[in-house]
Amino acid sequence: MTDRRDSSHPEVEAALERYLTEQRITRRDLLERISVLGAAVALAPIVAACSSVGASATPSLAPPPTAPASTAPSATAAPTPTPAPTPIPSPEAELIVYNWLDYIGEDVIPSFEEKYPVKVKYELFEDIEVAYAKLGKDGSGYDISFPTSVDIPRFREAGTILKLEQSLLPNIVNLGAEWANPGYDPGNAYSVPYMWWTTGIAYDTTKIKETLTSSKALWDPKYKGHISIMDDYQESMGLALKQLGFSVNSTDPAQLDAAINLLKQGKSLLRTRSNDTIGTMAGGDVWIGMIWGSDLWQIQAAVKNENHVYYIPEEGSVRGSDTAVIYSGSKHPVAAHLFLNHLLDAHVSASNTNLIGYMGPNEAAKQYIDKSILDDPAVNPTKAILDKLEELLDMPNAVDEEYLSRWQSYTAGG
Amino acid sequence: MLTRARGVIVVVPAVAWLSIFFLLPLAFILVVSLGSRDELGRIVLDNPSLDNYRRAFNPDYLPTLVTGLRYAALSTIASLLIGYPIAYWISHYGGRHKVLLLLLVMLPFWTSWLIRTYAWMIILRDNGVVNVFLQAIGLTSEPIILLNTDFSVVLGMTYGFLPFAILPIYVSIDRLDHNLVAAARDLYASGRTAFLHVTLPLSMPGIVAASLLTFIPAMGDFVTPDLLGGAQQTTIAKVIQERFLDGRDWPFGSALGFILIAVTLIGTVIALRNVRREMVGE
Repeated sequence: MTDRRDSSHPEVEAALERYLTEQRITRRDLLERISVLGAAVALAPIVAACSSVGASATPSLAPPPTAPASTAPSATAAPTPTPAPTPIPSPEAELIVYNWLDYIGEDVIPSFEEKYPVKVKYELFEDIEVAYAKLGKDGSGYDISFPTSVDIPRFREAGTILKLEQSLLPNIVNLGAEWANPGYDPGNAYSVPYMWWTTGIAYDTTKIKETLTSSKALWDPKYKGHISIMDDYQESMGLALKQLGFSVNSTDPAQLDAAINLLKQGKSLLRTRSNDTIGTMAGGDVWIGMIWGSDLWQIQAAVKNENHVYYIPEEGSVRGSDTAVIYSGSKHPVAAHLFLNHLLDAHVSASNTNLIGYMGPNEAAKQYIDKSILDDPAVNPTKAILDKLEELLDMPNAVDEEYLSRWQSYTAGG
Repeated sequence: MLTRARGVIVVVPAVAWLSIFFLLPLAFILVVSLGSRDELGRIVLDNPSLDNYRRAFNPDYLPTLVTGLRYAALSTIASLLIGYPIAYWISHYGGRHKVLLLLLVMLPFWTSWLIRTYAWMIILRDNGVVNVFLQAIGLTSEPIILLNTDFSVVLGMTYGFLPFAILPIYVSIDRLDHNLVAAARDLYASGRTAFLHVTLPLSMPGIVAASLLTFIPAMGDFVTPDLLGGAQQTTIAKVIQERFLDGRDWPFGSALGFILIAVTLIGTVIALRNVRREMVGE
C-alpha cells in the first residue's frame, strides 16, 4: 500500500498539521475560559443595575402625551411605566444655562451646586433676538434660557420648549396670585415667570425743572434734541396708543394710523431711538426718555447721583416679564427642573431681585427683599398704578406686519 | 499644456472659496426671498413668488436707500481725500520706516471695531471730550450737538474704513516708476503738473480699489448709523436688519437685501466702466 500522505503537497500538509494542533483545546485552556465566563455572568447584573440608574431618570420623565416630540427623554424606548409616587430622580451631572448679562443673583448657582451634584455651565448674551437665533428649534445644546413672556406662545406652538413636570416644581406655590395663570402661558404649563418690570419715562431733574406726569412730555418742543424713545416698535407704538386712549395690543388699522401719525409729529424733536436705555440716559445727551422701570437704579449708579426720576405716564403703560423655560432638546431635564424649582425658592428669588433690581413674581420672597427696592415705586409700583398697566401680547404675522410696516415708514421718512 | 493645467490648479482654491462663501449664500438669499414665513417665523418655500419684491418697491423705503447711498458716498470721498495724502507721504517720505508706518495704519484693527465706535460716542457726546474742551477754552457756552447727527455717522464710517483706503492707494503709488516723474520734470512740468498728469492717473487703480473697499461695506453698515446716528439717520441696512431680527421676516428681509446687493453691484459696474473709459481715454 502506498503512503496515504501525498507528498506532492508537503506545505499544505504541514500547515494543516499546525492548524489542528494549535486549535486543540487543552484542559488548562478550558478551565481558564470557564472561569472568565463565570465571572462575567456574575458581574453582569451589577453593571446593568449601575447603568440603568442613570437611564431610569429619563423614562419617568417621558413627556406627557400632549407635549411635542422631544429628543432625549423619548429616546429611551422601553415603555417603563411611570412609577407612581417617585422620590425625586437623581439629576444628571451637568446643566447648561443661557441667560442675560447681569441677570442672576450672585449666590444662586453656588447654592444650587451645593444642594445637588450638578455642575452648571453658565453662558451670557446681551441681545435676545441673537439668543433666540442661537437657541434655534430645540435649544441647540442649551437646557435653560430666559425668553420674554411675549414669545412663549410661539415657542409653545413650535415645540421648542418642554412642558413642565409640575411634580418637580413644588416651590411654584410661592408665586403671587396674579402670576398663577398669566395670559401668555395659562397655568404656567411651559414656563415659570422670572422677573417683571414696567415701562415708563425717566428724566434728569437738573435739566427739567417741572414735575412731569404725562407721556406728552416726550413731544414737548422745549426739550428738542434731548428726547429719546425705545427702538422697539411694540413698546413705542404702545406708548402712542395709550396716549390716544387705545389699548397697547390694538389691531385696529385706524388706531395704528393715529398712533404712527402722533409719533411722526414728534420725530424731529427726537435725539435718538435706542434700547440701550441705561447708556442713553447716563450719557447726558438725552434729558428725557423711555426706559424700563428697573433700569433707573442702574442709571443712577452709572451717573453716581440721584438726579434722574422715573414715572409711569398717567395715561397708562406696559408691564412685561421674563420667564425661565426648559428647551425640548435638553439632555438634562431633571437637573433643569430642579434648577427652575431652585429659582422659585423664596430666598433665591429675593437674591435675584436684590442683585438685578427687578421685582420677581415670588410673593414669599418679599420678606427677604431689600427695603429700598420694595419702597421704590419705579420697581415696585402701588396697586393703583399696577392696574393701569397692560401686558404686551404676542402678535401674529398679520398684526406684526401692520405694526412694523407703519413703524418703518415712520423711521424711514425724512 | 502643463502650464495651462498649473494655471487652472492655482485658480481652483479661489474659485472654490468664492463659490462656497459668496455665490452659495447669494443663491440662498435669492431662494429665501421668493418664499414667505409661517406663523412660527419659519421660512416656507411652498409657493415661490415675487410678492416680497413687490412689497420692497414701496416708496416708503426710498428715503432710507438714499440716506444709505449718501453716507456711503460721503465716507468714501472723505476716506480718499484723507487717505491719498497719507499713502503718498508714506511712499515718498517713509524711507526706512515705511513698514513701521504701515503697521501704525493697521494698528487700530487690533482693537475691536465696536469699541472704537463707542469711543467716538464718548468723544462726541454733549458732555464728551470735544464739548468739554470747547467750553473750557470759552469758545462755546452750551454743548454743541455733535453725536446723533449726519456728521457723526460719516465721521465714524470714514474712521472705520480709512485703513482700507490707505493700503491700496499706497501700493499703487509705491509701484510707480519714479523715472516717469523725473521725465515730466525734465520736460518743464512743475511739481503740481507732474503730480496731476503723471502720478494721479497712474495711481488710479489704487484709487478705484480704495473706493470699492470703502463704498461697498459702507452701504451695508447698519451698526455705525445705529450707534452714532440719531432718530433722523435711518439707512436701508437698518431696515433690513430690523426685518430679520425684530420682525423675524427673513423672506422679506432677503428681498430687500437682494435689491441692495443689486443696486450696489450695478452702481459699482457703472463706476468702474466710467473710470476705465477715462483711463483709456488719457
